[in-house]
Amino acid sequence: MSEYIPPSVLRTETFDCLRCGLTVTAFAPDGARRNHCPSCLHSRHVHDQVEGGPSECRARMAPIAIAVLRDGRWMIVHRCAGCGELTSSPVSGDDNRLILVRMAVRPLAQPPFPLETFADL
Amino acid sequence: MPRRNGPARRPQRRKDVPHGPGGAPGGSFRCAGCRLDVPLAAPGTAHRNHCPHCLTSLHVDRRVPGDRRADCGGRMVPLSVTVRPDGEWLIIHECRSCGALSANRIAGDDNALALLRVAVRPLSDPRLREDAFLAL
Repeated sequence: MSEYIPPSVLRTETFDCLRCGLTVTAFAPDGARRNHCPSCLHSRHVHDQVEGGPSECRARMAPIAIAVLRDGRWMIVHRCAGCGELTSSPVSGDDNRLILVRMAVRPLAQPPFPLETFADL
Repeated sequence: MPRRNGPARRPQRRKDVPHGPGGAPGGSFRCAGCRLDVPLAAPGTAHRNHCPHCLTSLHVDRRVPGDRRADCGGRMVPLSVTVRPDGEWLIIHECRSCGALSANRIAGDDNALALLRVAVRPLSDPRLREDAFLAL
């Protein structure tokens, strides 16, 4: 008999968001473990991406960009406010859509070149 | 649209890192994606690390830009674009062999069409229409 996995509503582990202070359940509705706050999308630098293993930084990580992988999944790119390291993590189902879309359109709102030239192509 | 540049900022630090074959100093590097011979002198930046035509980079730096301590050496492809508070665009590269991420400012001669294709990739996702705008 397989091991009983409780539904996510019965898993009561939580963490506090570093930025907005929201008490967040550690598991997303689809059962995956979260690593960022679904309300403000901020995270904490606990994993060292370069060396591997736990990081001693433990500073706040701000979301800076949205990436779409080849298979269509969305990833949030976080940047550590303390040491500047970049990480990416998958978007979970209840993440704040307003902040996600705002990050996606922010480059187009401040283009480094006039977008009118693309109309001629 | 005019750039909203603030007061004059400090000049960029010069970096003397080898770009030639086999770690030799050189004035240009060969793109790992499209084999374009790219000169190091770029308008608007002193730290060019990607090809202006296809935006491909190479994973040579470990933690500090220019330290040349990464032993991966894989090809890095543009993953997404982000904006600094002062309006500067940054390309976020992802290494295709080890998955590391890095960010670099765009140069003045970077391919605008390639940059825009990376920037609109999230917005062209068909699922965005269904759930994102309905949630607003």
